[in-house]
Amino acid sequence: MESSNEFQVGAPGMDAEKIVTEIRAEVARKREEGVYHDARIARAERHNLIHMQDNAELLRFYLATLRDIVTVDISDWSIRDRRGGVAGKVLVKFKTVIWKFLKFYTYRLWSQQNLVNGLMHSAVEGAFTNYERRIAELEARIVALEGGKDGPDPENETVDPVT
Amino acid sequence: MKLAFIAPRFPEAGVVGGAETLIRNLADYLGGQGNEVHFLTTCARDHHTWKNEIPPGEKTDGHLTVHFFPVNEDRDVSVFLRLQEQVSSGKDVSRSDQERWMRESVNSRALEAWLEAEGASFDAIIAGPYLYGITYHALRVHPDRSWLLPCLHDEAFAYQSVIKDLFHQVKGVLFNSEPEQALAERLYDLPHQKGAIVGMGLEPIKADAEAFAARHGITQPYVLYAGRREPLKGTPLLLDYVNTFRLNTQRDIKLVLTGSGDIDIPRELEGHVIDVGFVSEQEKHEAMAGARVFIHPSVNESFGIVLLESWLAGTPALVHAKSEVLKFQCKQSGGGLWFRYYPEFEAMLLALLDRKDLHGQLASAGNAYVRTNFTWSSVAARFLAAVGT
Repeated sequence: MESSNEFQVGAPGMDAEKIVTEIRAEVARKREEGVYHDARIARAERHNLIHMQDNAELLRFYLATLRDIVTVDISDWSIRDRRGGVAGKVLVKFKTVIWKFLKFYTYRLWSQQNLVNGLMHSAVEGAFTNYERRIAELEARIVALEGGKDGPDPENETVDPVT
Repeated sequence: MKLAFIAPRFPEAGVVGGAETLIRNLADYLGGQGNEVHFLTTCARDHHTWKNEIPPGEKTDGHLTVHFFPVNEDRDVSVFLRLQEQVSSGKDVSRSDQERWMRESVNSRALEAWLEAEGASFDAIIAGPYLYGITYHALRVHPDRSWLLPCLHDEAFAYQSVIKDLFHQVKGVLFNSEPEQALAERLYDLPHQKGAIVGMGLEPIKADAEAFAARHGITQPYVLYAGRREPLKGTPLLLDYVNTFRLNTQRDIKLVLTGSGDIDIPRELEGHVIDVGFVSEQEKHEAMAGARVFIHPSVNESFGIVLLESWLAGTPALVHAKSEVLKFQCKQSGGGLWFRYYPEFEAMLLALLDRKDLHGQLASAGNAYVRTNFTWSSVAARFLAAVGT
């Protein structure tokens, strides 16, 4: 089939890939400093997890942020009511009593769940680290067996790939 | 030339579908260039029920003679849904079940009969998108003069052997972008010369950048998504990201959504999402012109029409890096950036909001790219070179 697939690229001097690479380098630096280790970010990634599965760098980051939300918060907090006056005070007392009951009856459930969440997270993180190490070893062995002529595919490299 | 275009629905007010719109616009342009163009479609408007709502028959619309044919009403929808579920969940589906899946999909015996009687008089028959029974069966009536316009995505449906065979059976395949063609070559061992990249032309946009914000009382900067709202298009991810962006950076940006579909707005984001629903093309273009950034979070696109429109409206883009097509268009044009995860989304959006020089350069590059490569004359030239008569 005869075809004309010639496309012209955009404005001269505009290299979007270079800008993306620069921003990624800045993000990687801030990530190392712990700037993005935030429970909010872990929650925000819930719909993106499926797209991270083939990228070890992103999965490692996700597991690190997940550490911040793995535990259910069972601490007491300051109970308030937006209404002032006597009604407000009564409501605060009432809510405080309800909270104490709730905590008393569900404490074992929460603490058990926290234990399970913590153990699961540690197990996943441990398995991930272990597989990463083993894959790196196998890649090194393949390179050695092939006489060192080819390194690992940079697109699938586990350290900071630019996809 | 005498051309027949086939799509499951005819795009008109209230009937939206990117692939169908693309096919109709291409057909209409070619009709305006002195070709005799027929558009074959079904009587259905709703892509969930496929109920025959439009009376069968012919009408003239723009430069097209449109033929409406009824959808087969004896299709076994429960069998279709069962098989569709198996296919979409990546299960191994036997060849006979794949053929049944296509048979119980949206089909029209009346359309096939018309093609059998009249098809030989056409220079080319073009049908799409690829995953509908109507496309699959219509292209097999006269495969020697048929072209598939697949709008192919990397999804479970694309991995079925019946689909692979379809790509090989037709005379040629018309793609919208290089990544789409590369995907077909990878999935189906399709010879490179069997495909050609055509795409869709866009008319220049004249839109007042202030009009949309004034009409809707928006006083803060806003980012925009235009299109269907559903998980496959990445809208839940966009809502989560914009919500986190607002909380993390304390920037009061708004998110404007146009298009159809339900959305589940996070509690903290209530009041900061302006959902205007389905709007006219002019209002959509005004929303694009006034947006600081156009965000396209979908990873499943064969051609980013709204992305190109946002560049025509002078707005740079931010897309998901997992979308090969959108990333490719941003990279090739220099009109947008692509993120892989939230931290990159935040850093890139901040850069686009704060760095006016970068914002302007990306917007100009994207605009120049569309005006050079996606004029109707360049698209028609690519189409005629591909169909080649």
